[in-house]
Amino acid sequence: MLPLLLLAFAQVVTPELRQHVEAGLQARAAGDLPRAATEFQRVVELAPELPAAHVNLGSVYFQMKDYERATAPLRRALQLNPDLPGAHQMLGTALLAQGAANEAIPHFEKAHIDDLLGIALLEAGRARDAVDRLEAALLQRPGDPDLLFYLSHAYGQLSKDLFDRLRTQPGGETRVQQMLGEAALAAGQRDQAEKHLRSALAARTDLRGIHFALGELYLANGDYARAEPEFRAEARLAPLSAVAAYKFGLALLNLGKPAEAAKELGRADQLHPGMPETLLSLGKALVATGNPTGAEAAFQKLIETEPNSALAEAAHLQLSQLFRKLNRSADANRELKALQELRRSRR
Amino acid sequence: MGGGIALLDYDGDGRLDIFVVNGGKLHDPVRLPPDFRRYDPAFANRLYRQLPDGSFQDSTARAGLLNSPNIYGMGAAVADIDNDGHPDLYVTGYGGSVLYRNNGNGTFTATAEASVPGWSVSAAFLDYDNDGLLDLFVARYLDWDLGRNILCGTPFHSYCRPDKFNGVANVLFHNEGGGRFRDVSQSAGIASAIGKGMGVAVADYDADGFPDIFAANDGIEQFLFHNERNGTFTERALEAGVALSDDARSFAGMGAAFGDYDNDGRPDLIVTNLATEKFALYRNEGEGRFLYASLTTALAGLTSRHSGWGVGIHDFDNDGYKDIFASQSHVLDNVERIHSGLRYLEPPALYRGSPDGKFRAFDLGLPAVAGRGATFGDLNNDGKLDAVVSVLGGSPLVLLNRSARPGVTLRLVGRRANRDGAGAVVRAGSQTVFASSSGSYLSASDARVHLSGSPATIEITWPGGRKQTEKLPPGPSVTILEKE
Repeated sequence: MLPLLLLAFAQVVTPELRQHVEAGLQARAAGDLPRAATEFQRVVELAPELPAAHVNLGSVYFQMKDYERATAPLRRALQLNPDLPGAHQMLGTALLAQGAANEAIPHFEKAHIDDLLGIALLEAGRARDAVDRLEAALLQRPGDPDLLFYLSHAYGQLSKDLFDRLRTQPGGETRVQQMLGEAALAAGQRDQAEKHLRSALAARTDLRGIHFALGELYLANGDYARAEPEFRAEARLAPLSAVAAYKFGLALLNLGKPAEAAKELGRADQLHPGMPETLLSLGKALVATGNPTGAEAAFQKLIETEPNSALAEAAHLQLSQLFRKLNRSADANRELKALQELRRSRR
Repeated sequence: MGGGIALLDYDGDGRLDIFVVNGGKLHDPVRLPPDFRRYDPAFANRLYRQLPDGSFQDSTARAGLLNSPNIYGMGAAVADIDNDGHPDLYVTGYGGSVLYRNNGNGTFTATAEASVPGWSVSAAFLDYDNDGLLDLFVARYLDWDLGRNILCGTPFHSYCRPDKFNGVANVLFHNEGGGRFRDVSQSAGIASAIGKGMGVAVADYDADGFPDIFAANDGIEQFLFHNERNGTFTERALEAGVALSDDARSFAGMGAAFGDYDNDGRPDLIVTNLATEKFALYRNEGEGRFLYASLTTALAGLTSRHSGWGVGIHDFDNDGYKDIFASQSHVLDNVERIHSGLRYLEPPALYRGSPDGKFRAFDLGLPAVAGRGATFGDLNNDGKLDAVVSVLGGSPLVLLNRSARPGVTLRLVGRRANRDGAGAVVRAGSQTVFASSSGSYLSASDARVHLSGSPATIEITWPGGRKQTEKLPPGPSVTILEKE
């Protein structure tokens, strides 16, 4: 700011003007912002056509977070010289802070400030444009929690807009119930979730995802008996869904139906080879159905895929017990040791 | 927690009586010093004497048990510690434990023997060195006191998870005779395992002639103390396959019991857990190893919604296949607010065994309660195993078995072995039962053993390995003396 000010003063500077400029700068440097504001106000009075004078005054108020008083001098500065990016940024921020998102947007556009522009667009109700700007900003600062917060809000707004459209469409009620059910499930409101999902299912039995969500709901309650028919129905509706086949197999396994479980889990493994959760359950089902070779292969594959995970611990435990049963003591001891070491390292 | 309960014929009239452990009053869980108001009769433990008509009479005062020490009561264990024919009583709790000697005249005397500091929970009597005197194992829960209490739960307060607290060692006492006990936890190797104990069960799982100890732990690996036959124990749960679930996860291990659910002659093991964890059933494969059997027996799917505490593996319907009985209730009384799919109050459950090796739920038609301890015994000496469930904040449930099939209740009287016959194994055809009043959760069961049907001949293996074959007289209740 200082070079701009001095350059502007070069033709019109007076001793009094210089005195107030220097006093203002010193006060600001010393952190005495009210004094700096007084001095720069005097500068504005002495040189009202100088954009830099208004910028300095506005920036002091901006520093003081007095956005209302910062607005007028910054506006005046930009009337005198529209090509001041810093002033645009400050004015945009001041306007946004006062709730004038629409007014703030052109200033952020001129200043090329993606994150603030995204926020302003979001607050102005332009969620789709906001997503673009916030995604661009996120490329520069991938883990920024504020950006992630606003971006999730933007997507949430988009989702809500679409949901509102869906509600008004003829025949949209089933999907509305499905969405409400899934949202309630995610929020842990299980009773509500079940009500909405059942309502959706009563209207249409052919929609993928509803049975799955119900199955997940019952699974979270530990209710395998009620989860099993839901996953069975989902697997029928979506025969190429590996995750539906896995969940169906998992339910069967816990209900003491290892042969059926092995079949379904094997199918899940074919649809999505190497999924560790599937391999663990498949291995258990194969042990229970007397197929130690297949079980060993499944557990070994899991360990290859995820050698340091909790699932790998389970695979080592299963292998140690399988080998013990097969009288392969050395192998059993090796797996037990691997389990112990992995548990220690993961603590 | 809390909710200890025991069955014992304390007055020798041939009818089982019921002892109920009360916790105490906690006005303010963070106020010190703790005063559990055990001096108030309303918070005393209770002894209910069974009358000839099957009803029960409060005999607490008459038996000299009204004045409870200032501990928050937890569990109970029962054994004839001095082989005088009168069952003695051990009561655990937060703040200490007490051994009550049975005076043989319907009264008890509190002693300072086998006192355990801290927070003792389940306890079990066993003759670990086969010297004919029953020793005592006491599980302890956490290293916690009121001065270091912390609050957990958002937005609703709930009990903190056990991983917020340090564990503590369990305690083993050797019975020195004459009613005296010596703490051998260090020399026996018990003290080297730091746990978060809950239920305790005893059986000779590897058939080497010496009883072993399973101690359920809350939230960490379970303990299986293998008896090394020289007065020491080695913790072998992981090697034996009972430390973890089949997913290699620790669980809330609460109640525990041994029993031969598959009639192969070996003691299998069940551990009750919190909802969504499934009860863990371990099949004894022989050679000292177990396999997780909750999946193959369908027990996983049956129990995964439930939170179990007291538990027993017995043939309740006398059909030749062992069943599993469990008292149930979530540990959090506000669990519905935290997880709307779970319930705090639950009815006790019976999972019936069947020829195909799978369990099936059987609706007992009981109310949903906060069940904790569960004890099993033949209350009316009809050869059918009854159950008593303790209920937090409510009356116990006394459940008389109405099954149609016959059974027989055997009272074993040891002479060289301990008088209770604890540790004896009884075989009749495909049935094998293990004599022990231990197991379940905070509870002590009828020391007698139960067989289904009307077996003509039985084989008893007494502690130490001596075998005895007996022809059984007809009738639902039989006493068998150990041959000298």
